[in-house]
Amino acid sequence: MNYGPAPSYGPGPGGGPGPGFGGPGGPGGPTVLDPYALPSDDNVNPYTFCVELKGSQWFLQKGKMIAYYGQIDFNGIGHGRFDRLLRTSFHSPLHASDWVVAEGSGKMLLADRAFDVNSYDLDEGNLTIRSGNLLAYQPSLALKQSIVPGFLTLIGTGKFVAASNGPVVFMEPPLRVDPQALVGWADCPSPCHHYDHGYMQGVMGGLRQLTGIGGASGEEHQFEFVGAGTVLLQSTELLMAEQPVGQVQAAAGVPGHGQGPLGQQLGVPRMPGQLGDLQRRFGL
Amino acid sequence: MLAVDLSGDAVKAKNGSMVAYDGQMAFKKMSGGGEGLRGMVTRRLTGEQMTVMEVQGHGTCYFADRASEINLVNLHGEKLYVESSNLLCTDAGLRTGTTFTGLRGGATGNGLFTTTVEGTGQAAIMSDGPAVVLRVSAQYPLSVDPGAYIAHTGNLQQHFQSGVNFRTLIGEGSGEAFQIRFEGEGLVYVQPSERNTVGGDV
Repeated sequence: MNYGPAPSYGPGPGGGPGPGFGGPGGPGGPTVLDPYALPSDDNVNPYTFCVELKGSQWFLQKGKMIAYYGQIDFNGIGHGRFDRLLRTSFHSPLHASDWVVAEGSGKMLLADRAFDVNSYDLDEGNLTIRSGNLLAYQPSLALKQSIVPGFLTLIGTGKFVAASNGPVVFMEPPLRVDPQALVGWADCPSPCHHYDHGYMQGVMGGLRQLTGIGGASGEEHQFEFVGAGTVLLQSTELLMAEQPVGQVQAAAGVPGHGQGPLGQQLGVPRMPGQLGDLQRRFGL
Repeated sequence: MLAVDLSGDAVKAKNGSMVAYDGQMAFKKMSGGGEGLRGMVTRRLTGEQMTVMEVQGHGTCYFADRASEINLVNLHGEKLYVESSNLLCTDAGLRTGTTFTGLRGGATGNGLFTTTVEGTGQAAIMSDGPAVVLRVSAQYPLSVDPGAYIAHTGNLQQHFQSGVNFRTLIGEGSGEAFQIRFEGEGLVYVQPSERNTVGGDV
């Protein structure tokens, strides 16, 4: 498979100085784009992506379209006409209210809060990504909810567009990453939590983490990736705002909402070292 | 950041947007943006307020505002329509004014009026992320999300287009229910980010 920001950024075929506006007294202003000069399924500049629709359909996260030429319709996922499409490419009922289907012909510009935008090609592959970072994807891909809460998995062949705060960095496992820098991962098994040893060193370790007294580096908790694959990181620890989505249906064995081994509700994530778990530390 | 070289001439800039300068500069608050009494009254009435200072001197003056991207627009007698909050700096020779935008303003939450810049010279407009400049011609009308629109030039008609239907009301909206459709000949500046708008979530 091949990820890697599909054709690189840079000015579209129009050439010219590109949309990086010159400094003081620069050249005669920015490149002006029209439907011919706009690239087809490529970046216009690092923050804007252009999708060409020729009677085809794209899934699109709500509110990421900034402008379009031509005749394009946007319809909510619940539209009865899309039943067949949804059956093959949309399997995330909890996210249904965030997604729309764009169809028609024309060129459409996508952007997200001035974040870096990239397209990726999947070829019979799978990739899991933070739900807030995914902007759009071709219906030849199937969107499913990852069993890791807050992440979505794309399976199949096709193109999708994702945003990141700062350029995306590709890393190979084995690797431990900061939870806030993680954008997604491809091909490798799901990550596991990794806590530094000090975290677990008795009650004091827990208290230190909770209160920050006695020195907590803020890096005691990482995600660990092993196996073959690629991990996508953004170059900042600033998270993008995520829209709260519904809860997964409670069923035994479903992470996040199943019943714990002792029958207690696992709804609230509990850090080891949280005072409420003290009794378990003492083996009670 | 915008650097302006001045040799005795002047520019009009958003109040307080100077971050540095070398050489000799004089800053003067311009009440009413140099539009005279009538301009002041219009701005007060329309809520399209703009505090402007005039910078005059010799040297280089640097302007910036909240780390937003700056786009230069060259004007040769045409009219630039821009939200006053997006206007950073103009040549002193450019005339600014206020105009009615119609329904579009209501949807963007920016009010029903906008600022015009007219004349020959350069203007600097601000956007969240570098703006994309899109040409509108007779065959190729353009639809823009109200939250991403920042400015336009040329002879354009704006239509407010709405895709609100019964689905919107039952919470099945498309998220793109409101658009501004530009027809005619001209350029539209779009930023890669959306302001929060009234219609944004519908």
